[in-house]
Amino acid sequence: MTGRLRQWIDAIWLPAFLCAGLAICVGIGQLVESDSISVMLTEMLIRLGVVVGIYIFIGNSGIMSFGQIGFMCIGAYATAWATLDPNWKQIMLQGLPYFLKDATYPFPVPMLMGATLAAAVALVFGFPVMRLSGIAASIATFAFLVVINSVYSNWDSVTAGTSSIVGIPTFINPWGGLAFACVSIVVACVFQRSQIGLMLRASRDDEIAARASAAAVERVRLTAFVTSAFLIGAGGSLYAQFLGILTADTFFMGLTFITLAMLVIGGIGSLTGAVVGTVAVTLIIEILRGLEGGVVVAGARLALPAGVAGNRSRCGHGAYSDIPRPGARWWRGGPSSVSLARA
Amino acid sequence: MMLEVDGLSVRYGRLTALRGISLKVDEGQIVCIIGPNGAGKSTTLAAIAGGVGIQSGTVRWRNQVISGSVPEAISRLGLTLVPEGRRVFSTLSVEENLLVGTYQRGDRAASSKDLQRALELFSGLRERIRQPAGRLSGGEQQMLVICRALLTNARLLMIDEPSLGLAPMVIDQVYEVLLDLRRRNGLTLLINEQSSERVLEFADHVYVLRNGEIQLSDAAANLQDGKAIMSAYFGFDARASNQDLAVGATHGRVHPELR
Amino acid sequence: MVAFIQNCVDALSLGSLYALAALGIGLLFGMLRLINFAHGDFITIGAFGLIVPSRNDMAIMAIGSLPVVLLVPAACAIVVIAALLSDRLVFRPLRTASAPTLMVASFSVGYIIQNTILVTYGARPKTIDLWSSLGEQLHFGAVRVPRLEVVTIGVTLVLLAALTAFLKRTRYGVQIRAAAEDFLMARYLGVRANLAIGVAFALSGILAAVVSLLFVSETGTLTNVMGVPLMLYAFIATVVGGMGSLVGAVVGGYTVGFLAVMLQAYLPDGLRSFRDAFVFATIVFVLLLRPAGIIPTKALVQRV
Repeated sequence: MTGRLRQWIDAIWLPAFLCAGLAICVGIGQLVESDSISVMLTEMLIRLGVVVGIYIFIGNSGIMSFGQIGFMCIGAYATAWATLDPNWKQIMLQGLPYFLKDATYPFPVPMLMGATLAAAVALVFGFPVMRLSGIAASIATFAFLVVINSVYSNWDSVTAGTSSIVGIPTFINPWGGLAFACVSIVVACVFQRSQIGLMLRASRDDEIAARASAAAVERVRLTAFVTSAFLIGAGGSLYAQFLGILTADTFFMGLTFITLAMLVIGGIGSLTGAVVGTVAVTLIIEILRGLEGGVVVAGARLALPAGVAGNRSRCGHGAYSDIPRPGARWWRGGPSSVSLARA
Repeated sequence: MMLEVDGLSVRYGRLTALRGISLKVDEGQIVCIIGPNGAGKSTTLAAIAGGVGIQSGTVRWRNQVISGSVPEAISRLGLTLVPEGRRVFSTLSVEENLLVGTYQRGDRAASSKDLQRALELFSGLRERIRQPAGRLSGGEQQMLVICRALLTNARLLMIDEPSLGLAPMVIDQVYEVLLDLRRRNGLTLLINEQSSERVLEFADHVYVLRNGEIQLSDAAANLQDGKAIMSAYFGFDARASNQDLAVGATHGRVHPELR
Repeated sequence: MVAFIQNCVDALSLGSLYALAALGIGLLFGMLRLINFAHGDFITIGAFGLIVPSRNDMAIMAIGSLPVVLLVPAACAIVVIAALLSDRLVFRPLRTASAPTLMVASFSVGYIIQNTILVTYGARPKTIDLWSSLGEQLHFGAVRVPRLEVVTIGVTLVLLAALTAFLKRTRYGVQIRAAAEDFLMARYLGVRANLAIGVAFALSGILAAVVSLLFVSETGTLTNVMGVPLMLYAFIATVVGGMGSLVGAVVGGYTVGFLAVMLQAYLPDGLRSFRDAFVFATIVFVLLLRPAGIIPTKALVQRV
């Protein structure tokens, strides 16, 4: 019996430890009773859940995917569709199907809708793409990110295009964020210890040997991809309900880079690393935010995350004249250096 | 003494590949290192040539410490490695491959003369001089990489498993050329080999490497009966009889009919 | 028909820009397995190097007002110095680092460049007039083609020829090709690692400078992030064309250029704003068909 108990403890201690650690942080933060700390904690925890979701795919498969934040976008907008005031939707988002346009749904339905939609898209996109490896796979996922951004930025009747969607009811607080982060961590642990996780990590270390050992590489990759998308979609949904405002550019290069940096800094192959990386980078950002006034922020890891404002004012929508230009428009939402400028 | 290695240790992450080995090569000698797979032979040559990091120990070339130097500097001192696997530059032509070896020398005229002489010596290469090196056969590629290394004006050539993947007749040709070079140019050679027969045939001194340690170091003349090499190579007592060997191989469970 | 020819010339011109940018990236990838995400920012440096540092909206030309014969080498020199500096300060210490670390490092270099330019020159886009006479249209019968496009195509062809000659005929070229295929083996033969890498960075810098001049002449605008979309398209061009292969980089560049222009020209009205989506969706298809790129490099194809 002690054998099974030990097995059980073995399986449980890591997620329990991580979740407990995070809970303590939230507890302390809430004691302080400061709005800005609450906000920071909530955002960090939602991001953490997303980064862990990203880790489920990248860490286990070894494929550097640049497209995961696209799922956050999908989840966020789905939630917006499900929770905005119908009057507003009927005017601004006329392309929506009736069951979204005319109704709102209570929590947690919008979140599930967002997560499910993200997972469905992952299934469709992932099915042909999971047989790519290495750089080809990374580029394909990057292409996915751009396609999502392009679609969501231009499908005006459904997403209000490049204007912001405003008025999403916000109610997510640090405990909500904590719940999401913990769920993410638990799912990641379960996945890692499962047979699928093992096969996937085998394919990461030596794809050919894994195939020779009858690991269904595409299938396990797809499973990880869809699971990852589900969690990230849920994270996007929570993020929308935290920010209250949405634009497609929030979920583009800046956020992709920040989340990947969090994962890489913490250590790409480990769950603890993902958690530690997120917390560390968030702290660094907060410290630098404090120093923001007039100080140049140099170095990618220190760059502030693209806020909702983005850089739209500068680059316009990429005026396509007779002579096509390498569209400058889709680098919006990148370096939020605009906020540093005192031009 | 041209090359002296003293207490060399090399680690790959947590794996210790070499545990403080020492060897030396005198001018004009042919020294061979033999040992089973994974013994550390390639690591030894790579470490001497600067391609792999050294944890501890020193390598001295003509009394100058070279451990810790970069590969290109070591090659310029006259010590060139031909790594295993015949690494030709497959997209470059045969001629370009050979030229790469010559660029480290300042003297263009002498280099080009040496190139011509090398092509006479290695006649197979001259026929294919403009072809991409990737199209050559295994034996031709081996000749190419040896020739290429020679053109760096090497005084000591280190070759890692020259016979790997080659037909016996081709291996004979390769060794013929090497002996010829020693005779004519006074070339010194340090060679990794798996096959002890060849080694005993033409080496001056032999080292047996196993598990990252030198198990045996002796002049080839003293090792001709092969027993000492076998026991150092495999790690058991070579005085055992054939029956004992069979028992050892089957973990003591011998089929009754063989007893 | 006339429109089609015009579109083809547009595509060739844009493809040329992408091909040059992709070459810059491909050179460094081939040798160092480094994906230089800062390449676009080298292009930006080339552009900003033309003007006097100021926060005005109207750019005041510094070296930009020199005659072509002096301007081009000067611009090249500036970018080459920047490229060599970034190698010396950032990439050389990371020679043995892992691929993700290198990627983050090159991202960092890019961000540093972007932010430095931002602080020095201000955030607002600047207008700049570089060779605006090239905007003039040339007439070939009914076909009208901007002079700049013809110049772009011509310059690209000349540069490609020069680069090929350099790589095939000179000793540095041979060493670089050898180092690109098997870096360690080249070092075992005495090829100086840092020199070969330096030459590669310098070539990459020259290519970036040429792209910046052509790009600035066309768009007439300077912003601190102007190089980024170019870099991204160029990088994708390298992958689509075949990483590790210089010919592949060029093929990829023209492919992406053609895709972008033709989709822009021939997509039905309602879908035209989704052009980027179509371009990238097509890229995914190309990768599904040829994962190693249109021109795969043997050295990089995994052998069992």
